[in-house]
Amino acid sequence: MTGLAVGERRSARGASRTRTTPRLSRRGRERLAAGLFLAPDVLGLALFVGLPMVVCIVLGFFQVDGFGGYTFIGLDNYRRMFADPLFLGSLKTTLLYLVVLIPGLFVVSLALALLIRQKFPLVGLFRGAFFAPNVISLVVIGLIWKFMLTDQTGFVVRVLGFFGISSPSWLGSPHLALWMVVAVTIWFAMGYYMLIFLAGLQDIPREYYEVATIDGAGVWQQFRHITWPLLKPTSFFILLTSTVSMLTGGIDLIYVMTSGGPANSTSLIIYYIYEQAFVYGEYGYASAIGAFIVAILLVWSVGLFALTRGGRFNDARD
Amino acid sequence: MGISRRSLFGAGAGALAAPALLSGCGSSASGRKELVFWQFYAPTPVGGSPDVVKQSQWFSKMVDDWNAQHETKIRLEYVTVLGNPKLATAFAAGEGPDIFLLSPGDFARYYNGGVLAELTPYMEPAAVKDFFAPNMATRTADGKVYGLPMEIEPLAMFYSEQAMEKAHLAESDLPRTWDQLLDFGDKLRTRKAPPIMLPNLQGYYQNFTWYPFLWQTGADAVSHGHSGFDSAGAKAALKLWQDCIQTGIAPRTSPVPDSDAVAGLGGGYATMSLSGIWTVAAFKYRKPKYRYGVIPLPTPAGGTPRTALGGWAFVANARGKDPETAAKFCVWALGSMEQESIQRVVDWCTVAKSDIAPRASALAAGRKAGGYDHPVMKKFADEIFPTGRGEPRYPPVVYKAISDAIQQCEFAGADPAAQARLASDTIDAYLTSYRGVKIL
Repeated sequence: MTGLAVGERRSARGASRTRTTPRLSRRGRERLAAGLFLAPDVLGLALFVGLPMVVCIVLGFFQVDGFGGYTFIGLDNYRRMFADPLFLGSLKTTLLYLVVLIPGLFVVSLALALLIRQKFPLVGLFRGAFFAPNVISLVVIGLIWKFMLTDQTGFVVRVLGFFGISSPSWLGSPHLALWMVVAVTIWFAMGYYMLIFLAGLQDIPREYYEVATIDGAGVWQQFRHITWPLLKPTSFFILLTSTVSMLTGGIDLIYVMTSGGPANSTSLIIYYIYEQAFVYGEYGYASAIGAFIVAILLVWSVGLFALTRGGRFNDARD
Repeated sequence: MGISRRSLFGAGAGALAAPALLSGCGSSASGRKELVFWQFYAPTPVGGSPDVVKQSQWFSKMVDDWNAQHETKIRLEYVTVLGNPKLATAFAAGEGPDIFLLSPGDFARYYNGGVLAELTPYMEPAAVKDFFAPNMATRTADGKVYGLPMEIEPLAMFYSEQAMEKAHLAESDLPRTWDQLLDFGDKLRTRKAPPIMLPNLQGYYQNFTWYPFLWQTGADAVSHGHSGFDSAGAKAALKLWQDCIQTGIAPRTSPVPDSDAVAGLGGGYATMSLSGIWTVAAFKYRKPKYRYGVIPLPTPAGGTPRTALGGWAFVANARGKDPETAAKFCVWALGSMEQESIQRVVDWCTVAKSDIAPRASALAAGRKAGGYDHPVMKKFADEIFPTGRGEPRYPPVVYKAISDAIQQCEFAGADPAAQARLASDTIDAYLTSYRGVKIL
């Protein structure tokens, strides 16, 4: 080594430096930057969504007593699920709830967005008013509506009584309670989806409507041939996110307004999972139901993506 | 002086981790061992009503007295009441409190989970015998005590004298039988008087208030290890509550939160309300001048007077930081033959609340001190309490089967016979594989 010429030593140092800090290509640097930007989100998702999901799926194969006792029981929780009339009833109630709620929410939010897109006095006030329920806690909303709809003393009951109309038991009748929950949910959530629709509507160039008007197209034709097709990606997003959020959320509203009753008529699947885990201590069974719901949502999401070509619809063919 | 980002992050992380580490090691900041007691009375929530403040003071004084005399300290921690997920989650995470309050409805689950410490070794035999047996039964297993009741809370029918007068009804109109109850409700309806208020929200509390009607018929949900629910008595009791709702003599949803009898009667929303002895103290502190009375729960023709004895118990966590000290604390507080312990029970049941004392010695001392002189309290102590049976300790599956039967009959108009059979089948299917404490 001592016999090496100065130039050779320099060259060796240079080679070593090149090896330890290789220069990244432009593409490589972009990939690295993208990775670094995404890392916090990926880490958060893995930690707070991925890991609990894996734990939930694994727990579904165990009987968990809630006091540290775990017994592997294979698919027993899943077999129990399909033989449990309360679970099946809850699933049916949830389907009914979604089938009415999602289209209802979609139509109301779209109608409101179309309405507040117009220019008229105090439009800002209306926008704020429609969105306002969304900033209130669901627990508070549940309490307010419970007090409004309760027998004898409820505001709605009293107002109808003032006009000589006798009220049914809004929250005490199994035939009405679920629809009351649906109505309150639409009232609560419509402002949020209205804003998303509004953003979608504002992306549609005004010129399209101007040309259509010159061509003699009416309001309905403009909606059918301009608004609706160009709003498809927004509609897709709303359909997907509202289904997921209504299926997995809203437990606070049920808990406060009806506690799943009367006669289990508002026992949505998410409330049933809560009851099994935290009221009866059946953590394994609750996890199995949770995993089953995740599977349904995955199928729904993948199906919706496939059907709409990732929400791009016709654009995907271009 | 400059602070590097690394130092700042380090300090922040340390500050965040410190409380968790301190609570995790189970010692107070001064290094002394500290046991945590979860209950729903103290420290007093902000804006608590006078009765809540009294109850909170009783808890605080008890803990202060213990802490003044013992090396291991107790810290009170307020948690929300009734079947709260916080308790269940804490135990699932292996972080259950050292001492907590437990209702009979939850006893089987916690006992079967192996987290209840036995209290008998720290009790004198005389003290064990001092507790009323029908109420104590649901806190014992194989003759060993696992919980010490702090109160006994029988159920009865409270009525508003004012509403009765307005409806031109006399005391002689008060119902003694189920048929009379339905007639009474009908009279209230036709005279446009406020109705009868029954707990109607699905849950443990509703079941608790319905059980006496089942027992009055001689039927039982579980008998000798099998379901007794598919019986004429169960069908009749389900039919009674169904009739109350379907005929409209009881509202489908409670006009006041949690079927609170004071708010219901006092606010003019009900003429009669099914409630417990605790209502007496609530009236005393919240509506002291309100005129009300109480009658035992109506019975079926030829039936036996029966009521359910509710109430909470102190229990110690067998997997806590120091189960022995936790158990000793429970016994010191409520189950010792020391005068101080007996007086504590008297104070709780007659000053802070209005309950039947769970110990014979405390009930006698309470009577002597005038705690049962109020006519309603006297009626509870002399007439209603002796007909009582401890709140059952049914596992969740049994509770839920009964609860669904009640709800389906009340609100969906289901056939009581079919519902009784369905619940019975569910209970029997569960009991074939049930392993755990005897179901009472």
